Amino acid sequence: MNNVFSNILRFLIVVLLQIFVCSHINLFGFATPALYLFALLLLPFELPLSAQYLIGFLTGFVIDLFAHTLGVNSFACLVLMFVRPYLAKALNRGKSTEGVERPIPGVKDFKWLFAYTLTLSALHQFLVIMLETSSFVNFGHTMLVVLCNTVFTVFLLLCILYIFYPAQRKY
Amino acid sequence: MSNLIEFFKNNFHYFLLAVLLVLSILMLGKSMSYSSYKLARISQGITGPIQKNWSEMMHKFSLGQENEDLVQQNIALMREHDNMFIVKEDTTLTMMSETDSLHTQRTRLYDYSYAHVIFKTIDQAYNYIIIDKGSKDGIGKDMAVTSPSGVVGVVSDVSDHFAAVIPILHPDSRISAVVSPINQVGTVVWEGTDPRVAFLENIPQHLEINIGDSVLTSGFSNIFPKGLLIGTVKEVMVGNNASFLTIKIRLATNFNQLSLVYLIENQYKKEIDSLKTGFKTE
Repeated sequence: MNNVFSNILRFLIVVLLQIFVCSHINLFGFATPALYLFALLLLPFELPLSAQYLIGFLTGFVIDLFAHTLGVNSFACLVLMFVRPYLAKALNRGKSTEGVERPIPGVKDFKWLFAYTLTLSALHQFLVIMLETSSFVNFGHTMLVVLCNTVFTVFLLLCILYIFYPAQRKY
Repeated sequence: MSNLIEFFKNNFHYFLLAVLLVLSILMLGKSMSYSSYKLARISQGITGPIQKNWSEMMHKFSLGQENEDLVQQNIALMREHDNMFIVKEDTTLTMMSETDSLHTQRTRLYDYSYAHVIFKTIDQAYNYIIIDKGSKDGIGKDMAVTSPSGVVGVVSDVSDHFAAVIPILHPDSRISAVVSPINQVGTVVWEGTDPRVAFLENIPQHLEINIGDSVLTSGFSNIFPKGLLIGTVKEVMVGNNASFLTIKIRLATNFNQLSLVYLIENQYKKEIDSLKTGFKTE
């Protein structure tokens, strides 16, 4: 029960922050972090897949409502939620995954977390930016935006992860 | 049949995924076609009020900068509006074309800048105002000070970074003025304790002054440009000494709320004053 509550609270905080603060950040003129991915990335893996998909879709939808880009973030988040379990499985290869599976410091090492956030952020940003521009004109610049957004997002997510979920035990 | 239900149950998430994917792609298609504004309208309806309030709140943070920009623009407009020029003919060029006005040099008579009030008194017998610009910002003695609504006073003292202003609300302040429709010249003085009211002196009794007539600067003092609003006539009384009227005027400037002032410099004041000293009037 406590877990459910903390998840909901996390969603609320992160989505509000995204809508009112992060969406207005324009580092170097174009880099905008996708902070709300944080809530999606930390969703428990044990949740039924259908629930995960639904949560991903709805989160993207809310962001879309405020950005007036209906469908863009919903689609990207849905794809992200679909890929997420497979990515975690792939990253876990060769290691036992017993006990509570949470992508936080202490449970996973830095390498794992870095690969996890980087892959998913890059995928998400690629989809969002490509769908937003919806053309291959100026492809180099589009990719640059994707790159900058991804770097910014990953940096932000890892910082938050290590600040709010400090590793208490090392495995 | 039970097999089918079992299959459906086991693969429910795939169906959901498919449905949601189709839904988002449909929305994408709609929002990208630009032909259907319906979706945009709906999302605007939901988030519009929230975003409006938020942007209004964020707007408050940038009001200072915006204000500064507007002041700059005002100064630019004042310069543009003011067509007091000193016209000099460039004699080396007149040989080529005598009628061409391009070869005359036009120099501004007045220059404009602005400052903020950092201290002021309004309810004493000798009021004064301190502004946040001084000689390093090009402020000099005897520059005219106005507010967006009317005349304020004259710079009396200047230090490096600050300047003192003698407002109309000071017994020593005497501003040459004209009453608007009849163009009769008088002097605005302050003798009361009411920061909203001043007196116009030296208007002969036979003239007809109406309540509400505007009192403007005359431009004779070489401090104020001609035609700035000082106030409006509030009350006309026939004084005891028969030859002049006593006219109460309501000052245009609200000294209570004064925070921004414009400074106007007559760039030829010294030159004009040096001529004036040649005539010993007394």
